[in-house]
Amino acid sequence: MPLLDLKGVTKEYRLGKVIVRALRGLDLAIEPGEIVAIMGPSGSGKSTLMHILGALDLPTGGTALIDGEDLAGLKEGELVRLRGRRIGFVFQTFNLILTMSAQRNVELPMIFQGVKRSERARRAAELLGKVGLAERRAHKPNELSGGERQRVAIARALANDPEIILADEPTGNLDSESGSQILELLKRLSEEDGKTVIIVTHDPDAASIADRIVRLKDGRVAAGPTGGDRDA
Amino acid sequence: MLKDFFLLAAQSILHRRMRSWLTVIGVFIGITAVVALISIGLGLNRTINEQVSQVFGVDTFILLAEDPFGSRGHDRSSEEYALDLDLLRSIDGVKVVAALRERTGFVVGPPGPDGKAKQGFLTVMGLSPELLSDFSSFTGPLEVDPPGRMFSPDETDAAVLGSGIAERLGADLGDEITIAGDGDVELAMRVVGIMAAPDEAEGSKRGFGMGEGGPDADTVYVPYAAMERLWGEADDVLLTLARVEKGYDVDEVASRVEEELNARGADLTAVTYSDISDAIGTMTSTVSAFLAGIAGIALLVGAVGVMNTMFTSVLERTREIGVMKAVGAKNVHILLIFLIESGMMGLVGGIVGTGLGLGLSAVASAFIGRFFGVQMAVVASPGLILITLAGSFLLGAFAGLWPARRAAKLTPVEALRYE
Repeated sequence: MPLLDLKGVTKEYRLGKVIVRALRGLDLAIEPGEIVAIMGPSGSGKSTLMHILGALDLPTGGTALIDGEDLAGLKEGELVRLRGRRIGFVFQTFNLILTMSAQRNVELPMIFQGVKRSERARRAAELLGKVGLAERRAHKPNELSGGERQRVAIARALANDPEIILADEPTGNLDSESGSQILELLKRLSEEDGKTVIIVTHDPDAASIADRIVRLKDGRVAAGPTGGDRDA
Repeated sequence: MLKDFFLLAAQSILHRRMRSWLTVIGVFIGITAVVALISIGLGLNRTINEQVSQVFGVDTFILLAEDPFGSRGHDRSSEEYALDLDLLRSIDGVKVVAALRERTGFVVGPPGPDGKAKQGFLTVMGLSPELLSDFSSFTGPLEVDPPGRMFSPDETDAAVLGSGIAERLGADLGDEITIAGDGDVELAMRVVGIMAAPDEAEGSKRGFGMGEGGPDADTVYVPYAAMERLWGEADDVLLTLARVEKGYDVDEVASRVEEELNARGADLTAVTYSDISDAIGTMTSTVSAFLAGIAGIALLVGAVGVMNTMFTSVLERTREIGVMKAVGAKNVHILLIFLIESGMMGLVGGIVGTGLGLGLSAVASAFIGRFFGVQMAVVASPGLILITLAGSFLLGAFAGLWPARRAAKLTPVEALRYE
């Protein structure tokens, strides 16, 4: 059974007086442990798709199943828990909280899950070690380089040990060297920890680590090559 | 978790230090005013009560001809009355009574060197011996210049002269003066003392039984019994003091006395310590409530400042709110974080304001105390402080409620998209 299964998903929203049809009957199934790159031009519905996959938004039509469960049937509280425990987000602009140290940023998702202080501190330290920032735990985001910030963000995404990592243009604000380190890290998460990694990107390099590339056009999955290079 | 939210809020406040301080200033001005006014009001009330109880004693009541606080709407031209002291003494619970009578009488001085005596109509005041022995706090400094003395309780033919009178009558210690009473009654009284001239600086220590001017330089003081011999029982009692037996409730006895005397045709009001204290309490609390109300406006302005700061904060941190929601924050978490933040600004304002308010109150108390020549109490009860601090936190939280709700209700997608 696919971990994420979208069938005929549509999403419309109003922008002023115009109704924007961002997704127009999108079908997509993602298996556990896959690395999937979602590519497509601006306005093709990438961000909207990302929001739905991340349970941040609900489809207007069609069904979106996460682990067999229909998002539309979940209460607000259940959606929050889903986001908190099963999904980890990585953003293009890192979105770290500037007033907090790297350590506290990684602890943040655990605070909302009510994890005990000592356990939180231990886990955050462990995760920062995993992304190679053990030495920079006490630094604030503006004392870190772009690549380091994104690694903190990845550590934060892993805080509650989610099955799914959703990365929205994770290399978009990084130089190519930092970018490739981040991609390496994401790849390792899939290979070593069995995480399902979904990367929304323009970056061909980012796409190169994917098992499969999904191309969007006008709110649908475009026909075309979808194979990745993992087996190659 | 709540502890973490407090930490988050504190970080956010410290991050925007300048703005936070300005907001806090807005709060503490109001709190300072409220705390200072309440504290001064309470201090004033306590000080007045202390002064009253010192003079009055909690086991004593006064009989006055008129309701002193006007609640009965009497229409009497005279403040004086006739009273049978023996009847009053016989009422259950009354331990000791004393009265003060005043009357204008014709007084003849001792013969002068030319053989002529000076004479005239003068104020004659009759003092119950008990007034001197049991109610000395009321009589105030009835100080007699040495080597003279006050007449003793069992004397009936001794008089003490006001300093002015002694001079004008040409009377000295040991001289005899004559007071003419009703009909043909005339009493020769020996001058045993002459009052010390009133001392201006001591004015505030005066017992309130002695009228406006204190020991009057123009008064002739005689024993109460002498008054009875001169004028009998007459409508000239200024006031009567009564102390109750131990174990009796002064208010109960006072109302019984009032009832019994009035049933016999008198029209008197018995005023106890608690009546006076209540009247003063009503007056001071009305004034403080009014002032606190004005200070409350300052508080309201401070609260609006908090609200404004919080709206700005929510707007600035929209993306942050989106991130928190994306990593699993519930609406109530966001609400709490912002409420705690605004509450903490209120609390800091409260702490600073309480400190400043109490300081201000201490300064004001010292000033007022000095002006009126009393030691004024500074009231800083832990309860008042605690209520103020809790109140200021709630004020801040309440002011932040609207912005915090707005933050909590943001959808994650909206919030993340916000630039």
